[in-house]
Amino acid sequence: MTASARDWGSASEIPELAGAVAIAGVGEADHSQASGRSEREISAQAVERALADAGLAPKDVDGILYSAGFGDAFDAKAFHAHFGTHHEIWESPRGGATVWAATAPATAAEVLHSGKARHVLNVFSVSWATQRPQMLGGPGQFHAEERYKASLEVPFGWFPQPVYFATIARRHMIEFGTRPEQLGAIAVSARRHANLHPGAVMREKQLSLADYLARPMLVDPLRVEDCCLISDGGGAYLMSTPERARDLRRPPVLVAGVGEGRSATGLYWSQQPAFTSTPQVFSAPAAFAMAGIGPRDVDVLALYDPFTIVALMQIEDMGFCGKGEGGAFVEGDALDFDGGGLPLNTHGGLLSHAYVLGISHVIELVRQLRGEAAAQVPGAEIGVYGGYTGHMASTLVLRRA
Amino acid sequence: MKTADFPLPDTEWEGTCGFWEAAAREQLAIPRCAACRRFQWYPRERCLACGGGELPWTAVSGRGTLFSWAVVRRALVPAFAEKVPFVTGLVALAEDPAVRVVTNLVDCEFEELRAELPVRVVFRPLVFPNQERRVIAPMFTPLG
Repeated sequence: MTASARDWGSASEIPELAGAVAIAGVGEADHSQASGRSEREISAQAVERALADAGLAPKDVDGILYSAGFGDAFDAKAFHAHFGTHHEIWESPRGGATVWAATAPATAAEVLHSGKARHVLNVFSVSWATQRPQMLGGPGQFHAEERYKASLEVPFGWFPQPVYFATIARRHMIEFGTRPEQLGAIAVSARRHANLHPGAVMREKQLSLADYLARPMLVDPLRVEDCCLISDGGGAYLMSTPERARDLRRPPVLVAGVGEGRSATGLYWSQQPAFTSTPQVFSAPAAFAMAGIGPRDVDVLALYDPFTIVALMQIEDMGFCGKGEGGAFVEGDALDFDGGGLPLNTHGGLLSHAYVLGISHVIELVRQLRGEAAAQVPGAEIGVYGGYTGHMASTLVLRRA
Repeated sequence: MKTADFPLPDTEWEGTCGFWEAAAREQLAIPRCAACRRFQWYPRERCLACGGGELPWTAVSGRGTLFSWAVVRRALVPAFAEKVPFVTGLVALAEDPAVRVVTNLVDCEFEELRAELPVRVVFRPLVFPNQERRVIAPMFTPLG
């Protein structure tokens, strides 16, 4: 049933932006298990740190991108309430994390280019670890409230996300012979990176491949270690034009390409013709073309990794190897920052750093391209983030200035 | 937002009532476009293939093949705590394998499950603690 035709989705139109946007500051909130903190407290901490990193004051920020639908967003009103400022701020809800962590620079490009805004924040936070007891199936609540899913999936226990992705992983194993130790290699590499990262939730917890294989199944063929954490945390990055960014405190990182892809079957993943693929099939080639690069040019990769299988599929779908070859590609230490292969999620990802939905993936890439990451890839010049939400994927190509 | 009956379906909601009414009669039914005869799954107001607006719920044979599955070993929500371990997955229908029905695999050993295993529909009640309402649902079992 694998659809070889590319008719199951499409690439979105993204305006040309190469050279128009730079990332000039990054900040992460404290990432943790249940902390009792609100989304706004977490966002404010991340924003303060991003501004300190860039060497800017709150009054310098005249643009904010945030996500609607993830609790209390840190929008312009919240920004003013926190900092006691009153100036005009352009804002858009088309920012935040997941796919928008990649597309926010494209959304900001127009206002930065026109001069309508000079310094635009993209901010995201989540307090799902604190809120989990009140949620139905944790982050699955959204799916439980979708009426077709509530009627045609939930009654059979095909809910929440670990069940979807166990089913996808099984089909990947059926079609391509992917093995548990190959999924395990992704989890083990992420954990090793988290062990090196000062802000990672799993900093103190080791995981070997033998440990992984000895762990019980949660939803066979996935173990708990194949699934992301549930965290409180967040992050922010500050964008400006490359010219302005050069005058700020930190070396700027250039946004070289942005892509976005969509699956035609939308939220109903059970019906996606290419069941073991992600819309990176549509997104990555567009972003790479905009940046004028190919997969071989990428020095460090950060992929939205709610489950090991999602990272594996994106590696294939972005063209780092052929479809179905991802298992062999990730084996051993190939994904480690010093493994000689393709370094992936050098901060530990959603699996072992924190489940902050991708905002920290972009921040980690910026640190890599500045040469200041904890698990630094020597001489990294090009970093790529792959965002994913199931029915959408996005791609962000960053380049050292 | 209607989650009070979670995880039971709202069998009267117009979007999927045909599925549940058929199941109560021990039939598996899928919307089929009256114009182009294609099955439309999940249900939509119009046929995605031809735009036709007449999509009657149509009984199918209940035969198919196992496309993929997951064995839930640990309940992720309390409502399923008494069911674990159980098998949930996708069955590709004989009439159109592009139609995948989310279901439970029953009356089988986990070890006998394999890709493309021929299966047939059986009808069983959905039973959950604290839910008295009885809903008959299509589930699948190996054909052999």
